[in-house]
Amino acid sequence: MANALEATERKQNDKSTARDIYLPPERKKVSGGGAPHVSAKNFSIYYGEFEAVKKVNADILSKYVTAIIGPSGCGKSTFLRAINRMNDLIPNCHTTGALMFDGDDVYGKFTDEVLLRKKIGMVFQKPNPFPKSIFDNIAYGPRLHGIKDRKTLDALVEKSLRKAALWDEVSDRLDKNALGLSGGQQQRLCVARTLAVEPEILLLDEPTSALDPKATAKIEDLIQELRGSYTIMIVTHNMQQASRVSDYTMFFYEGVLIEHAPTAQLFTRPKDQMTEDYITGRFS
Amino acid sequence: MQNSSGMHENEAAKSGRSSVFVVSARKRKLQKISQKSGEGTLLLIASFVAIVVLFIFWFVARDAVPYFRLRGFQEFFTSSEWYPADEPPRFGALAIIYGSIMVTLGSALIAVPMGVIASICLSDILPFTVRQYVKPVIEMLAAIPSVAYGFFALVVFAPLLQNVGGPILMWTWWVIAAPVLLLAVIVASELLTAPIEKEPKKKVLHLVSALFLGSLALLFLYFVGRHLQGLVIMSGTNALNVSIILSFMALPTIVSVSEDALQAVGRELREGSYALGATRAETIIKTVLPAASSGILAAVILGIMRALGETMVVWMASGNSSHIPDPFFNYLESIRTLTATIAGDMGEADQVTGSARFHVLFAMGLLLLVVSFVSNFISERIVVRQRKVLSGQ
Amino acid sequence: MNLGTRKLLDRSFTALGIGSIIIMGLALLVVLVPIVSNGIGALVFRETVEHRKLLLSEFHRGDAGDLEKELVISNGYRQKAFDILAAFDRELEQMEPERQEVYRESYEQVRTALRVLLGPLPGEELPELTRFRYGQTRWDKAEEKLHDLLYEQKWDYSNPDVIAKPNDVSRASIFAGTSLVRLFPYVEENIDRMMMPQWTIYWGFITDSSLDSHFFGGIWPEIQGTIFLAIGAMIFAFPLGVIAAIYFTEYAREGFLNSLLRSANSTLAGVPSIVFGLFGLAFFINTLHVSESKSVLAGSLTLAIMILPTIIRAAEEAILSVPKTYKEASLGLGSTKWNTIMTVILPAALPGILTGGVISLGRAAGETAPIIFTAAVSVGTAIGLGDVLSSPTPALSWNIYNLASEHEAAAQIRHVQYGMVLSLVMIVLLLNLSAVILRARISKKLKG
Repeated sequence: MANALEATERKQNDKSTARDIYLPPERKKVSGGGAPHVSAKNFSIYYGEFEAVKKVNADILSKYVTAIIGPSGCGKSTFLRAINRMNDLIPNCHTTGALMFDGDDVYGKFTDEVLLRKKIGMVFQKPNPFPKSIFDNIAYGPRLHGIKDRKTLDALVEKSLRKAALWDEVSDRLDKNALGLSGGQQQRLCVARTLAVEPEILLLDEPTSALDPKATAKIEDLIQELRGSYTIMIVTHNMQQASRVSDYTMFFYEGVLIEHAPTAQLFTRPKDQMTEDYITGRFS
Repeated sequence: MQNSSGMHENEAAKSGRSSVFVVSARKRKLQKISQKSGEGTLLLIASFVAIVVLFIFWFVARDAVPYFRLRGFQEFFTSSEWYPADEPPRFGALAIIYGSIMVTLGSALIAVPMGVIASICLSDILPFTVRQYVKPVIEMLAAIPSVAYGFFALVVFAPLLQNVGGPILMWTWWVIAAPVLLLAVIVASELLTAPIEKEPKKKVLHLVSALFLGSLALLFLYFVGRHLQGLVIMSGTNALNVSIILSFMALPTIVSVSEDALQAVGRELREGSYALGATRAETIIKTVLPAASSGILAAVILGIMRALGETMVVWMASGNSSHIPDPFFNYLESIRTLTATIAGDMGEADQVTGSARFHVLFAMGLLLLVVSFVSNFISERIVVRQRKVLSGQ
Repeated sequence: MNLGTRKLLDRSFTALGIGSIIIMGLALLVVLVPIVSNGIGALVFRETVEHRKLLLSEFHRGDAGDLEKELVISNGYRQKAFDILAAFDRELEQMEPERQEVYRESYEQVRTALRVLLGPLPGEELPELTRFRYGQTRWDKAEEKLHDLLYEQKWDYSNPDVIAKPNDVSRASIFAGTSLVRLFPYVEENIDRMMMPQWTIYWGFITDSSLDSHFFGGIWPEIQGTIFLAIGAMIFAFPLGVIAAIYFTEYAREGFLNSLLRSANSTLAGVPSIVFGLFGLAFFINTLHVSESKSVLAGSLTLAIMILPTIIRAAEEAILSVPKTYKEASLGLGSTKWNTIMTVILPAALPGILTGGVISLGRAAGETAPIIFTAAVSVGTAIGLGDVLSSPTPALSWNIYNLASEHEAAAQIRHVQYGMVLSLVMIVLLLNLSAVILRARISKKLKG
C-alpha cells in the first residue's frame, strides 16, 4: 500500500516537472491578427478507405503561430499538407467536409491549386533546395509567376534572404550551388524561397527534425521574427519546441483533433486526459 | 462539397471580392481541358511503343502467312531438307530450328551456372571495392558489338579450335572436373562412413573409401580427358564455338538481372540463417537462392533469349550447314540457325518479293518473335510474382 | 557432415564464384587483346616503297621528289632480279621441249610470286584492278610473299587416314642447275632494299575511302555511315523515349493500360535484332516507302525502334531517382506540374538520361542485324548529308561481316578487318566510357 502511494506521488511530481519544462514564454498580442484564416468544418482526409484525419473542426487564426503536435501517424502532417493540397500528389487521397481559406473553399470545384499554393507556402522536413545556385533557388518562384526583370528579382532575393536571416551569410556567394550550404542554412534558404512568392500562410512540416540544436535555435528565432507578418503552422515532434514558438497548439491523436487551445493553456491546464497523458510522456 | 463550391461562386459574385485562388468556371474548365489534352498527348507518345509492338507482329505475320498458305505447315516443321533455290524448292526448317535450339541450349549450359554463381559472388561475397571493378568488366562484355564477337569467333577462335581443339577440350575438362570430383570424393567418403560409430574403425574406413573413390575418379578423369584430346575437329566454325561465344554475350544479362533478384532478398533472411550457424555457402544455397529463385529464372530466360536472338555470331561462325548433327548432341559439327538463315538468305530472296522463298524467312522471323514474346511474358510474370512474394502480399 | 568439410565446401563455393568472375574478365581480355593488337596494325605498320607509290598516285599525298629518289635505288636492285628472269627466259627457249615442260609450270609460279611481291613485271601491261598495280604495300605481307617465292607449298596426301598437311619445298632445289637458281638468294638478301620498309602511322586508314574494295585505303565511308545511322536513330528515339519516360513516371496511373504499355516495352526490348530488320524491310521500305530501297533513313528508323526501350528504361530510372522533395518544393512554390518537370525534375535527371542516351547510341552504332535489309551496302563511297534520305551507306558493323565472311580475298585483308573491328569497338567503348564520365561530372556539379 505504502509503496503504491509513493509511486502515485512520484508520478504526480513527474507531471508537474514535465509541465514546468513546457511552460511557454509570455507572448505579445499581434496587431491586426486573430481573424480565422483557415477554417476546417467537418474536414476529413481519406487514403482510399482509410480515414486518416477525422472530422476536424478548427479555426487557425491569422498572423499567429499554431503548432500541431501528436504521436507519429496521428495525421498531423496529413492535415498540414491538405491545407495547400500537397496531398494531391498521393493517389487515392480525397477529402470530405470543407476547408476554407479566407472564406474560399480550398477543395472547391473552381480552385486553382497552383494559385492556392502560391498563397500558402510550405517548408518540408528535410531541407530540399534545388541543385541550382542560391539566387536561382530564391528566384525560382517569382520567375514562375512571371517576374523576369533582373533588378526586381535582385531586390526580391535580397528581401527574402534578409527576412529569413540568411542574407549576411550568403550575400557574397549567391551564384554558388545551394547544396553547398549547411543543413540549417539550407532550411532557412527554403524558408526564404517560400517567402519570395509572398505567401500569406507558412506551413512548416517538422522543419527542424533534420537539424542540429544550433540550427534549430536559428529556425525558431526566425519563426519568432516572422510571427505577426504571416500565419504560421508548424508540425513538430518536439513538445518543447511547440511551447517555445507557438501561440496556439493543436493536439491530434489517431486522426482526431483532441484539443485545440492557446499554447499556455494546453501545456499547463489541458482539458483532455489524453492531452495530459501525451504531454507528460505517458505515450508518444 | 459540390454544394459548397457552387455556393462559393455565388458568394464571390455577390460580394464582388476577387478571390485569390478561386477562378471562374470557364477558366477552370479551360485549365482542365488543356491539362487533359497535354496528358493525352503524352499518353499517345508513350503508347507509341505498344503500337510499334503491334506493328511488328502485324507486318512480320503479314509476310509470313503467305508462306504457310502456299506450302502448309508440315514441311516447315518436320523436314530438314532446306533447298530453297532448287526446282522445286524445299523449305524443311527442322534442322535449322534444331540448330537454334542447340546453340541456345549449349550457351545456356555454360552461361547459366557461370552467370548465377558470378551474380551470387557479386551480391554476397565480394566486398564493395572489388565489385566496383567487376561491374565495368560486365558492362564492357555487354557493350562489345555482336559483330566483333562474331569476327573473333571466326578469325581467332575457329582456327584455334580446329588446330588445337582436342588439347583445349582436355585441359578444360581437367580444370573443371578435377576439383569437382575431388570435392565429390571427400563428401561421398564422409557420407559413407557417417553411420559408423567406433573411432579407429571409422578413420580407417574413411581413408579406404576416399582412396578407392579417388582412384575411380582419377581413372574417369583420365579416360575422358584422353578421349577429348583425341577428338578431330573438322571445322572450327561449329556449334561449340558459337555456344561458347554466345554464352559470354548472354552472361551480362544473366548476371545483372539475377544480381538484382539476389539484392531484393533482404538482409534479415541472411542474418537469420547465419545466426543459426550456417556457413555462407549454406546460407546462400538454402536460404537466399530459393527466395530469389524466380528472379533468377527470369534472368536465365532473358539471357537465353539473347542467345536465341543473336544473329551475327552464328551467321559468321556456325558453319551455316543445314543438317542435324550426327549424333544429335555432337557440338563439333557445323549447324545453321534461324537468325543466320534470315540474314543470309534475304539477299537472294529479296528481289523476288512474293515468292515462297521470301516469305519463309518471315515465317522464321515470326517463329522467333512468338518465342521471344512468350518467354518475355513468362519472365515478366515471374518477376511480378517474386516482387509480390517478397513484399508479403 | 563435420565442420571441416562444411568449411571446405564453403571455401570451394567462394572459389567457384571468384573463378567464374575471373573467367569473365579473361574472356574480355581474350576477345579484346587480339582485336586491339591486330587492329592497331592497320594504322601502325612498316610501309614499303610500294605503299608510298600508291599514296602518291592514288591519294596525291607524299613528296614526289623523295619518292623519285627512292624509286631509283629500289628499281636498281629490282632490275637485277628482272635481269635474272630475262636470262632464264632465254635459257628456257633454248631448252629441249621436254625440259621446258618440266620447268614451265614452276616458272610461271615464280613469276606470279614475284609479281605479287613487287608489282607488275617489266614488259607487262598495267592491270585493270588497282590491287594488281602495286606490289606488297606492307612489310609483314611482303615477308609472307617472299616466303611464297622461296618455297612451294606441297600437300602431303600420302596417308589417307590423317588430314593432309602442307609441306614447304624450296624452289631453289626445283631450279637447281639453271640460271634462275641465283634469283632466290638474291631476292632474299636484297628484299629490304627493293621494298625500303619504314615505320609509319597511316591515319589515312581512318580518313580515306577504300580503293578496290578495301584492298587499299581506309574505312572513312564505313565510319561515317555508322555515325549517320547511330545519330539518326537517336534523333528519333531520344525525344520519344524521354517523353514516354516522363509519362510513365509522372502521369501514368496504375491500371490495365499502364501495365499493358509496360509489357509492350519489355516485349520490344526482347525482340531479336534480326526481326527488327525484317520489320524495317516490311514496314518502312515495302509499306511506307520512306525510300526506294535501303537507305540511311530506313536504317535509322529501324535502329530507333530497337533502342527505344533502353532509352525509356534509362530515363525512367533517372527520373525516379530524383528526390521527391524537389518536386514537393517546386509544387509548394506554386509551380504547375509541367513546369516542375521541365525546370526541376528533368535537369536533375539529366545525367542519368544522357548516360542512357549515350549507351544507346553505342548500341545503335554496333548493331548489324537491323541494318542488313534496311541500310547497309558492302561497297560504296561516303555519302553526303543530303543523301541520307534516299541512299544506303556502308557501315562498320556490316562491312566487318562482309569483309570477313564474303569478301573474295578475305584472308588477304585481315588487317583491314581488324582495323574496322577495332574502330567499331573503340567507338562503342569510348561512348560507354564518356557516358560514365558524363554521369560523374554532371552529378558532381549538381551536388555542388
